[in-house]
Amino acid sequence: MNWQGLELSILGPACLAGLLVLSTHVPLGQQVLARGIIFIDLAIAQIAALGVILAQYFGMDEQGIGVEIAAGVAALAGGALLTWTDRRWPDYQEPLIGTLFVLAATGGLLLLANNPHGSEHLKDLLVGQILWVDLHRLIGVAGLSAVLLAVMWWRRAHLDGPLFYALFALAITASVQLVGVYLVFASLIIPALATAGIAGVRRLVVAYAIGAAGYIAGLVLSAVLDLPSGAMIVWTLAGCGIVARVLLSLRGRKRDVAAVGGMI
Amino acid sequence: MIKVYICLLLLLATRVAGAFEVFACEPEWGSLLKEIGGDAIQINVGTSALQDVHVIEAKPSLIAKVRRADLIVCSGADLEIGWLPQLVRQAGNPKVASGAGYFLASDQITTLEKPTSLDRSEGDIHAQGNPHFQLDPYRVLAIAKALAARLAQLDSAHAADYQNRLDDFSTRWQAATKTWETKAAPLKGRKVVVHHMSWIYLLQWLGMEQIGALEPKPGVPPTSGHLATLVDVTKSSHTLAILRAAYQDPKPGDWLAQQTGVPAVTLPFSVGGDDQAKDLFGLFDSTIDKLLAAAK
Repeated sequence: MNWQGLELSILGPACLAGLLVLSTHVPLGQQVLARGIIFIDLAIAQIAALGVILAQYFGMDEQGIGVEIAAGVAALAGGALLTWTDRRWPDYQEPLIGTLFVLAATGGLLLLANNPHGSEHLKDLLVGQILWVDLHRLIGVAGLSAVLLAVMWWRRAHLDGPLFYALFALAITASVQLVGVYLVFASLIIPALATAGIAGVRRLVVAYAIGAAGYIAGLVLSAVLDLPSGAMIVWTLAGCGIVARVLLSLRGRKRDVAAVGGMI
Repeated sequence: MIKVYICLLLLLATRVAGAFEVFACEPEWGSLLKEIGGDAIQINVGTSALQDVHVIEAKPSLIAKVRRADLIVCSGADLEIGWLPQLVRQAGNPKVASGAGYFLASDQITTLEKPTSLDRSEGDIHAQGNPHFQLDPYRVLAIAKALAARLAQLDSAHAADYQNRLDDFSTRWQAATKTWETKAAPLKGRKVVVHHMSWIYLLQWLGMEQIGALEPKPGVPPTSGHLATLVDVTKSSHTLAILRAAYQDPKPGDWLAQQTGVPAVTLPFSVGGDDQAKDLFGLFDSTIDKLLAAAK
């Protein structure tokens, strides 16, 4: 047990980052699940990383806004490519996404053969550590999330094709750098999976609750048990998802019983 | 009974709050601090010998430790560049953010392999020279002196204490250095292949020679052409051993050992890297014993 790390000023920014990521990923995750393209986040993240490596390959500054733009542009290009493959070969979208993922990942390795500093960036891009969140970046991501949520709300009836892939690409690029690819995957898929079968706004509310509970429990546990925060949160998210699923099915059964009783 | 516990807890709390706290990035500096600071300071070490200090996982306790520290002691020379700046920024502790509370061992000595020009094509090189200098006893002694002076400056109440302990440590360290040098005489002139370029200080001290590296450019995986040359060089030059640190993946070294018949030797590299390396003295004892065992 270790109570030293249990300080709001340490866990607070990380928690805020998690909630920001959840804000866009919970609704996007439901789309991802409905389309059956689970690994799209890995592919987009890897393509964004490839964009950064390419930018550095052509001599762009390591720090600074240029790298962010390169990541965003690469992710959007990846999104556009996936929109096109989705139209052209809708039945093979998932295997195409998988292929794109390995191509982007190994393409990075080939380019990095001569640029070792890119490897640090590649790691940063994929393993982003939630405790190291930078307040400036948090403000930027908050702004981006607000815009993305507004667009999602505005086009909620027609969130498909190019618009979905573009929104997704931008959200993933920002969140992967903030919290890393494992947490992004978990934030997208676990709340959506745990609430599958629930309809409408209720599903969103439950999914947000699962996500928030998972992040808070994970950060507190990682402080108390002195374990890496990102990995811990993935496990608490899964735990919260299972608990929610069990509670929902218990309630569902009760209601069935009540409904049957009412009919008699 | 409960009252006793509460009293104990309170005592413990005041003791902890009152003690001069030091955060060491690597276990070798934790061990050095223990030699010089003794009971006067409380030491927290951020990493272990069994992990790669270039990269570490973020844990809440790390930030808490840096937040409470009066002094942080790290290797420097960009070794911790991947995480120390974020850690210090996140901890928001002005005492250790810069100035006297921010002690970099690399500032106290001259580093080797300082590049004259910074060229990306040469791999993940450190602009301030090779940061793996903990295996040179002379540099360790120089760092110990600077560290004692820094402790005395920041915690003047114990200044005499630090000086006495430094004197005691210097005497024992210089005697041990003589012993190690005598013992290691048969290693002079022997050739080794290394995994990462982290042994240059040890090899220079013992008069040994590095004839190749599994990572030709630091941080970049080797190509097949490089490995082919490395196998030839290792086979043809009466190589003593293939050196790797306790935290490194044994696969590349084992592969080369299998190809060439030259033994791969795992050295502790830092305090805690094996059972014998319990402190700085044990670290050097174990390193030299293992090298001598390979030479037999």
